[in-house]
Amino acid sequence: MSQSDNSFEPNVIDDEMLQKAVEEQWPEDIRKLAKAEGINFKDVMELQLSFRNILQIDNLWQFENLTKLQLDNNIIEKIEALESLVHLVWLDLSFNNIEVIEGLDTLVKLQDLSLYNNRISKIEHMDTLQELQIFSIGKNNLTTLENVVYLRKFKNLHTLNLTGNPFCNEEQYMLFVVAHLPGLVYLDFKLVSDTTREVAISNYHYLTDLLEHEEAQALAQLEEKQAQQKELEYHKTAFVEYLNGSFLFDSLYAEDTEAAKLAYLPGVDDLLQAYRKDFVSVCENLFNYCLKEHEKREAEVSDFYEGLREVLTANQEEGRRIILDFENQNRTRLDEIHHASSHDTAESMRAEYNEDILQLSETLMTLEMQMVDQLEELIKEFERNIAVITSTFIENVKGMMTQCRDLENRHHEKLLEISISALEKSLKNELDEELPDDVREFLVDKNTIVNMVNKSHNIHLLKISMRECDILLNMYHWEASVKEKALQNEIDRNRNRIKEIFQYIDDLQEQLDNTQIPDPTE
Amino acid sequence: MEVLEEKEEEEQKEEELKALEISSELHDTKTKLSVEQICFSSDVPDFDWNSIDTSQLPDSYKMNSPREKKLLRIADHYHQQYTHLCPERKPLFLHPVNECGVEKFVSTTVRPTLLPYTELYHWDGCASFVSDYLTMEPLKCPLTPPSSLYSPTTILKYQRGNCFDFSVLLCSMLIGAGYDAYCVNGYATHNICSLDESLEECPLLRKPQEVPKEDVKKSNKYRVKSLPDMHSKFELQQEAKKKAETEATEKKERGERDMEAEEPTCDHLCGLRVHAWVLVLSGKREVPETFFIDPFTGNSYSTMDEQFLGIESVWNHKNYWVNMQDCRNGCKDLVFDLSDAVHWEIMLSETDKPLQLLLGAEKKNELFDRNVDDMEEEEEEEEEEISFAMPPSWVAPIQISPKEFETRCSQGRKVILYKKAKLEKWAPYFNGNGLVKRLTIYADSNWTEAVEVKEWFKNREDMLDMREVNKQTQLTTEYFSPGHLFGLKVHAYKSMNPQTERVMEFYTETRVDGLQKLAENASEMKEYFMGRDDFKYFQHTEFRTKRKKVTLAGVGTDVNSRPIVQIKECFHRNLQKPADEDIAERVFLIEEEMIQLTYHLKDKYITASKKDFFKPTESYRKQSEIMTPEMCITYQAGSSEQHTKLVHLYKLLQKLTEEEKQLKQQVWRSQAEVLKILEIRENEEADIKLSASIYDTERNEKKRQEYEAMMNAKKDEFPGQNEQDLDYLAPFLIQMGSPEKMTRRQALRLRDNCLSDFKNRLVSKANIIQARFEKEVEELQKKNQLFQENQNQLSEKEEADLLADYSETMFRIHILALRLDREKQTAPQKYLALEEKLRKDPRLAEHLGHA
Repeated sequence: MSQSDNSFEPNVIDDEMLQKAVEEQWPEDIRKLAKAEGINFKDVMELQLSFRNILQIDNLWQFENLTKLQLDNNIIEKIEALESLVHLVWLDLSFNNIEVIEGLDTLVKLQDLSLYNNRISKIEHMDTLQELQIFSIGKNNLTTLENVVYLRKFKNLHTLNLTGNPFCNEEQYMLFVVAHLPGLVYLDFKLVSDTTREVAISNYHYLTDLLEHEEAQALAQLEEKQAQQKELEYHKTAFVEYLNGSFLFDSLYAEDTEAAKLAYLPGVDDLLQAYRKDFVSVCENLFNYCLKEHEKREAEVSDFYEGLREVLTANQEEGRRIILDFENQNRTRLDEIHHASSHDTAESMRAEYNEDILQLSETLMTLEMQMVDQLEELIKEFERNIAVITSTFIENVKGMMTQCRDLENRHHEKLLEISISALEKSLKNELDEELPDDVREFLVDKNTIVNMVNKSHNIHLLKISMRECDILLNMYHWEASVKEKALQNEIDRNRNRIKEIFQYIDDLQEQLDNTQIPDPTE
Repeated sequence: MEVLEEKEEEEQKEEELKALEISSELHDTKTKLSVEQICFSSDVPDFDWNSIDTSQLPDSYKMNSPREKKLLRIADHYHQQYTHLCPERKPLFLHPVNECGVEKFVSTTVRPTLLPYTELYHWDGCASFVSDYLTMEPLKCPLTPPSSLYSPTTILKYQRGNCFDFSVLLCSMLIGAGYDAYCVNGYATHNICSLDESLEECPLLRKPQEVPKEDVKKSNKYRVKSLPDMHSKFELQQEAKKKAETEATEKKERGERDMEAEEPTCDHLCGLRVHAWVLVLSGKREVPETFFIDPFTGNSYSTMDEQFLGIESVWNHKNYWVNMQDCRNGCKDLVFDLSDAVHWEIMLSETDKPLQLLLGAEKKNELFDRNVDDMEEEEEEEEEEISFAMPPSWVAPIQISPKEFETRCSQGRKVILYKKAKLEKWAPYFNGNGLVKRLTIYADSNWTEAVEVKEWFKNREDMLDMREVNKQTQLTTEYFSPGHLFGLKVHAYKSMNPQTERVMEFYTETRVDGLQKLAENASEMKEYFMGRDDFKYFQHTEFRTKRKKVTLAGVGTDVNSRPIVQIKECFHRNLQKPADEDIAERVFLIEEEMIQLTYHLKDKYITASKKDFFKPTESYRKQSEIMTPEMCITYQAGSSEQHTKLVHLYKLLQKLTEEEKQLKQQVWRSQAEVLKILEIRENEEADIKLSASIYDTERNEKKRQEYEAMMNAKKDEFPGQNEQDLDYLAPFLIQMGSPEKMTRRQALRLRDNCLSDFKNRLVSKANIIQARFEKEVEELQKKNQLFQENQNQLSEKEEADLLADYSETMFRIHILALRLDREKQTAPQKYLALEEKLRKDPRLAEHLGHA
């Protein structure tokens, strides 16, 4: 009925159309059943919306689990509103009026994409479609052959259709494409023969070699970066990011303008070098210690979970055994009740069975209670161990940080000495070296210089304390989260198990209740 | 001079011999009586060695070379010294007579030989060959070494011999194979000497020692405390005590019984029975430890073995050593370092070890000088003796033909009696059914009441490898090598009738369905699978038995006669699916029209999800409702009442119904297959065929005929090839009237004629190909035209025919084009080749050589 106006009037996808499209997909018998139950768009896996004169894509967000969508032979002009269909594997948009490839970024599972017969002039915006295997973009408006190089990204691409594009008339079209896409098996509906491939490679190796080289370099860079990132992550989990080397020391002086000025005083430079050396070595110690502690913590946690897993598996087997025993014993019981000779015997049998079910429930619950007790002990032990680890860690870190502070104090004292002696010298005009003017300004009276040195010292102490605080806080946080997780896991497990037991028992009882027994004899 | 000397020597020797005889007589007087008794009591062998034909033997068998004579003299000298030094010991076994009545030194009787059979490259292969190939003869007198020692070739020829013959042959083979082997003359127990293994357990029945597995389980510090044990410990203790007591009494009783049964007969000649065996020293051929080989059984023994009671002397092909160690404790304490002059007295000081030679010689000199006074005049000789090397063996090369090697046992059969077991061996192909070995296990020690029979087969076309029959349960188990038609590996059955109890195992890798084992009896069939894509590993089918029918029908031919009651399938976990969508067990209750699904357990769950389908009855089907909630009882573990949609259930049910049908078919197919296997097995058993290797031209009749035919054909093909190549000049020479001598002009003409003729031939050949090519092309065009014109009127079949025809023509054209091409390419080369050949032709060479 609506066929006629469909062909003239452009449509927008609406609920009615979707409903109908979904229904049409099923065979007669199922359709009735489904209709009676009501259709949930979430359950639909495939959808066909071909030949419906659709102008704009819309209202598809409900189809969360859709894997195959056909929108071919419409008059769509823009790819849009497909963002939520993240499970899509197959998308057909052929025979439309699309001009730009866009809006596909979220469809990361896409393997088969057809844009045949549209008005696209550039292959672009497809970087996220790494699973792509089949791509059809024939009969479009592609003019520059170099654009095909873009498709090198897709390592799984084995079938490509480019026929009917303007650049296909170029002499070297075929060889160029084959040379640049070495993984291609089928091009334009035809198998790529080995000879073609050889010729193509020999013709274009000067281009492809370059590309390959660039790609390899990019890959290497990426890998390096990732490795660095990974290491940093690792350090972060050990709470020692930027502790190896002189990071911390440099940060001490990063915002300290006074220290920079003081550095011009004679003798300060040497002092600074020595200080730096000592400080960095303490930092290294701290760094290595933290890494070691991190390993220890990880081992402890994995030990715990390993032990937990063993216990749980044993428990699961035990529970399974109890249930299987019960099921095997009572396999025919319902039937017996159903076919009992009289109402009274059936009643008594039913009562007996009910009793058995309760008994089973009791057994399972006892098992679970034992389990809870055992696990509680286990978790407590784990918590104790974690606490021990934490406290030793904190103690040691504090000790090392104190070393840092001592170094700083010593440095401060020496610096003060030098400064004062420099001041005295300057007052006596005995200074041999030429000093910058702003440094000279400080060398006027004792208070200024002492203040300045003190200020620098305070900044340094503050920084050290902050770093210490960071590490300690992280550690406390880690301890809390590990404990929390273990407890929460156990609570969840317990809840689930109790729920499961109840559900199972309910199910048994329901079955029993539903069993018809012979009517009471008159 | 020489002759004189020899004579002298001989005389001397005779004298010595006499002296020796006398001394030995004297020495033996004590035991003589008993010896004689024993000699008479021993069985007279049924083979008369005097009747053997010695006329064909080579000369070296019949006389001694000068070096051998000298050796004998040295040996006698050595023996004199020995008897002087150790008067209480028995005379040495040095130079018994051979089959021709000539005295030969024992070392020269050893003939190191490596035989061309891979099996004989290892000591165990050699030992088992010798023990199988030769028939054992007891020593004429069990207390003295034999008076004669025949050559290994003679022994091989007649396939029998005593322990010395066995040892010499085996030793020859072992030394040939590179082992450091020695013949041993010594003493052993009665069982060893008389090849009586009836008190020993059959080696085939010995159980391999189980290596206790180490528990490498890492203990975790996180462990739950086990629940308190509520059982009374006292009761347990009491029980254990009781058990131990009963066990002890049982053991005692059993032990007593065993004692009665196996009362070892006390041997009053223990330690006096002479035996010969082989000693293999460690070192060569990566032998890690010195050991003995008993040549009768072919078994190896440790040097500590209690059955070997003492050693008199050992020898190999190079030398002879006398044991100077005390053998009161058997061979346990013996040192087998033969270079140790204190423990072993060497006869010829070793020539290939100069240092030891000097040392040894000095020592010996000292030793002998001290004790022997009347040896001074022989001092010179002794010096010679030191540098004297063992002469080469007088024995002809040992040869064993492939046939003899294969036939093994004399008359192709050998029987060995073990404790409560009998082992029979046959040569391959000796029995028509391929039987090579049979082990019968008896319940009693008298070998009367058979309990179990094991038979080994070889070269059977049906790949039967071993058959085990348990006489008590009547259970037959057949083991097959890979290669049977259905991949059969094991077949255990009580009767060959179908639908009786049986177990079949298969070589899984050869079967598409991954069937590993199929166990069947009257009412059920169990199938075990491995490595299937659908993760199925077990299938259990129950049948409704119709007892009356089965008894009536006997061999039921109708496979479908047993209706299926239920089929149960079990699946492994498929990790790609979530656990509660991955079916673990599927039961089709066919008679009850029910399907039960049980899913795999979810992580940490103890109840499995379940779905029970009740198949719609006919009345339902007519109604519009095709699926109702009552038709499926669902239990979904862990999810609260998330109701599955009827649509899904309906689809699932449809799928299951379809699969049920297929499953039924599959069950019937496996039933049919079982029947087929049974039929094939029966046929195979009824008509046993043995396969022969294609290299075995003697047995493989067909192959031999083919081979002969091929040889004949080869001969026929080029009858004159060897005599004369085709003379390419002959026709032209005839034209010229075959002149005896040619002028230069004639020669040139001859050459030109020949070349032009060849050129013509090439051209005409090319023309022929070209003509054919054109013809084909023309035909093709014609056909094409025809096809174009009639395209619309042609039926499908005609069109297909035409197309086929067309493609064939195309193919021919292609081939012709290729040939033409090749012809064009090769023609110039051929031409040039002929020209070159003509230039080198001897008849034309003188005229053309420089042209």
